[in-house]
Amino acid sequence: MDFRRIEVIFLIVFFSLDIFLFLSFRNSQQLVSSSSTNTSTVTEMRKRNITFGSLDTKNGYAYYLGSQPSDELAQNINKLRNQEVQYDIVNHKVSSTLANEIAVTATNKKAIMDKFIKKDSNVLFGDEYTYSPQLSNSSQMVYVPTGSLGEVYDKTAQLVFTITDGKVVGYTQTYVKSLIILHERQVVKSEKDVITNLYANSEIPNNSKITYANLAYTKLLEAKGSTIYIPVWFVTIKNKDSKVTTTKKVNAFTGNIIKSSTNGDNYSAQ
Amino acid sequence: MKFSRLIVQLLLIVAVITSIVMSFFIWTNTARYQRGRNIDVTSAESNKNEIPINQVISPTQVIWHDDSDQHLIYNSNENISLSIQKVMQDWKIEQPKEVSKKDGAYYQKVIQGKNMLQMVYPTSINTNVFGYLLGNNGLKNGKSLQFNRILINLKDKKDQNIYLANDSNYAVYKLKVDNASAVPITKLVDKANVNLKVRLNIMKHGVFTFYVDPIKMKSYSYVISGKKDNEYTTALFDSNTNGLVTSEDNNIYTYSYGESKRLTSDHNTEELSFDDYTDTSVPKTQLAFLQRGYQKVIDLQNPISNLRLYSATWSNKNLIFREYVEGFPIFKKSQFGSIRIKFSRKGSSEHFLNKVLEVPVPSTQAATTLKSTNEIFKGLQRVGFSPNDVQEVEVGYQWEGETDNEKVVDLKPTYYIKIDGHWKPYNEWTNESAEED
Repeated sequence: MDFRRIEVIFLIVFFSLDIFLFLSFRNSQQLVSSSSTNTSTVTEMRKRNITFGSLDTKNGYAYYLGSQPSDELAQNINKLRNQEVQYDIVNHKVSSTLANEIAVTATNKKAIMDKFIKKDSNVLFGDEYTYSPQLSNSSQMVYVPTGSLGEVYDKTAQLVFTITDGKVVGYTQTYVKSLIILHERQVVKSEKDVITNLYANSEIPNNSKITYANLAYTKLLEAKGSTIYIPVWFVTIKNKDSKVTTTKKVNAFTGNIIKSSTNGDNYSAQ
Repeated sequence: MKFSRLIVQLLLIVAVITSIVMSFFIWTNTARYQRGRNIDVTSAESNKNEIPINQVISPTQVIWHDDSDQHLIYNSNENISLSIQKVMQDWKIEQPKEVSKKDGAYYQKVIQGKNMLQMVYPTSINTNVFGYLLGNNGLKNGKSLQFNRILINLKDKKDQNIYLANDSNYAVYKLKVDNASAVPITKLVDKANVNLKVRLNIMKHGVFTFYVDPIKMKSYSYVISGKKDNEYTTALFDSNTNGLVTSEDNNIYTYSYGESKRLTSDHNTEELSFDDYTDTSVPKTQLAFLQRGYQKVIDLQNPISNLRLYSATWSNKNLIFREYVEGFPIFKKSQFGSIRIKFSRKGSSEHFLNKVLEVPVPSTQAATTLKSTNEIFKGLQRVGFSPNDVQEVEVGYQWEGETDNEKVVDLKPTYYIKIDGHWKPYNEWTNESAEED
């Protein structure tokens, strides 16, 4: 029996075993790296041609806020000039038609209207509102209240200018006098949590762009004559093919995706 | 000839060793890979609406002794006790050393010490649990000592210690702290917007917080929520609900899964109880005891942000959780708080209410002024209860004016007194109002 030949055969067998083991070792290492959650979701999203800026991973804090309906607009309505004004008592809402329409273009509308709302005779409490490009479109300019607690994106506190044929023809306004904190601050989901969660729930299609992701207060419910607001992430997604934009809402306390009801007004945030 | 044979043999040995080493790496690495996957699962779960354990097991009272008086403080915008614990997570806290024990006079001096901030747990926990909550492995694995107060001196820069104190045996422990600063804590204390003058008195049944003056307390309103029975059965019985047997008697619904699990839901009182006869292992350490209790609370899947561990009795493995509003406990119409959990060799049981505070609503009720604690004791004495009969006194909130259509509940402050093992509001013991005239 040729012992030497057996040795050579063994050597070849073990050598090929080593190569196999080395390859499988490398494979398992790659699996480890791809199994790490959030970063890989982000790379996966980029691979699927979803465009977005850097995502904030920091968890902030927010509150449950409450407000009582105020007739502040009705009390000051006689200050308004050069416009035809109506007041809706049920919704505490001012509807105004401007006597002199204001010509605007897509580029200068913000500058012109920012200046317009500063004057008390044009818009009541105008300096408490700021322009929100996320909620606006070519026929509407939406201004939202900004207080020390954050912005409110809600129909109960909004200033909306109507644009027809490149001219601002009128506006509607609702106003919240003051927001009170109802509960000690609570941690809210970070921007990254919210966007990866939306993606995991197939809410973000391939080949799209996340144009805005903002945290703002919105109405949760009405109880005992007060309106309760909670923090909600508003994420706007633009489909690169169809150019259609949709805005998803995510409850910032729970991370639950809020399905808008048909009238878009009342929904359960749970 | 011989030389080449030697090379072949050497190469063979090297190849064999390499394959052994490689196999070893793959084995251990696969294990790591699988463990990695587990971590992913848990982190995905923690993404859900889960309240961290250190919020459920947390001190509820913060008492600050400035240069002259002791005050119970609270900040209605930010929970001071949670924020201080967050600060303490970065501290390097060393092993506890005993300062004194069973010395009531010294104990009183410690808990009434000037410039001391103290945080009080509703029930005592041990230093292992404390270490776990702070992420401090030394404390977690070190000696286990019971305590219910954390004391920090905010003014004395030379005192590089925190103190832990136990009301039940007057033990005081000293723990050396490195890289700690009192500045962030002092800032939190300064932001307090509720400030009630108190005095800590040692009495027969323990240390009582006495409100020196009549106290003005806010009222609160909450939208309450509940769940349907089938939501509980899916959460509590393992997903397979095919073998579920349902029966109803006098509006009391019972769901059972063989002989192993049973859920009873009383629709009259909205109280539920769940027994799991398969859960027969009794926790061996206090940490495991509290962790398992916390997990059960999470599994009930109610919004639990207001829930705190209220009482943990190691001897009979009983846990009670209660909802809190701004540092004060809420007493519902049931005796057991919000959730009671019991472990035993026969199985675990859970009692809970299907009514949870969910969304705070501005209260339409005016603030209430309650009598000072001294007045309360005088009132009790008038109806024949001596101070020694009183086991516990707490200012808490009671449910009131539940309007059916709106599902809104009002919380009104009052004194709750425990005598003979029963909690009752002051007016039920004495037929007198706890409110100041």
